[in-house]
Amino acid sequence: MKVSKKKTEPEIPTASMADIAFLLIVFFMITSVFSVTRGMEFQLPPNDKNDAPPDTAEEAIHVHVIPAGADCIFEVDKQQMELADIQIYIEPKLARNPNKFVIIDPDPDAPYRCMVDAFDELKQAQVKNISIPTTAEKAAWGGVL
Amino acid sequence: MNIRKPKRAESYIPTASMADIAFLLIVFFMVTTTITVDRTRVALPTSLERTEVPKDAAVISVEEGGVVHFSDGEEQSRVINMGDVLPAAAFVIEKNSLKWFVIKADGNAEYQHIDRVMEQLRQANVRNIAMLTGQESVG
Repeated sequence: MKVSKKKTEPEIPTASMADIAFLLIVFFMITSVFSVTRGMEFQLPPNDKNDAPPDTAEEAIHVHVIPAGADCIFEVDKQQMELADIQIYIEPKLARNPNKFVIIDPDPDAPYRCMVDAFDELKQAQVKNISIPTTAEKAAWGGVL
Repeated sequence: MNIRKPKRAESYIPTASMADIAFLLIVFFMVTTTITVDRTRVALPTSLERTEVPKDAAVISVEEGGVVHFSDGEEQSRVINMGDVLPAAAFVIEKNSLKWFVIKADGNAEYQHIDRVMEQLRQANVRNIAMLTGQESVG
């Protein structure tokens, strides 16, 4: 007697594979945070005991950031000017001396973003030597500023 | 006359490659995801000039009120006193003198807080710092 055997095709069930994978995707999407990884670089001066002001401090361009309500006033070399005008003021000076020093001097109660705005402007003007002296440094420099 | 019905093709959606596509997406997300060491919520100031900050940098975040969080770049950030930035930074610098420090400060924080952080970093012989900023919209 001939027994007819019906052969079943061997297979791996892959229908739910996509569901599992998408579940993992959703998990990764929810748990991942978009972190900001960009910013403005700045080199701190070396911490040597010789806290004398740089020789060029007196000829440096002095940017004073003064708080005014929610916003700020920028005084460059004692002249009040708009943020956008700082670049125009600095460019000819920079053309004469590319190593011109610029000192940013924010008031203690000025908002941080005003200092960042000024720093951003100077970076855009391609100033090479930007200095942001801390209060302690300024005290050590004496009355230069 | 009997007209034979045409043989109907079985309709189906091919789902075999679905898993491949999904796994590709997973791999993409896993590669692009960076584990953040600091989750302090701050309103970053914006700037046009921005450069990429090294990934393993130490992070110091300053909240609007002056609360300071510190992370050495490996551990999750923790709240520390303003006066403790110097020993914490000095400890990190001892191991790697060229370590980058990222200052992640709220744009509305008073500058005196950032000033105190920068002074302590300077005393700890930190050279490279970066101020984290958001993208400024032009116009």
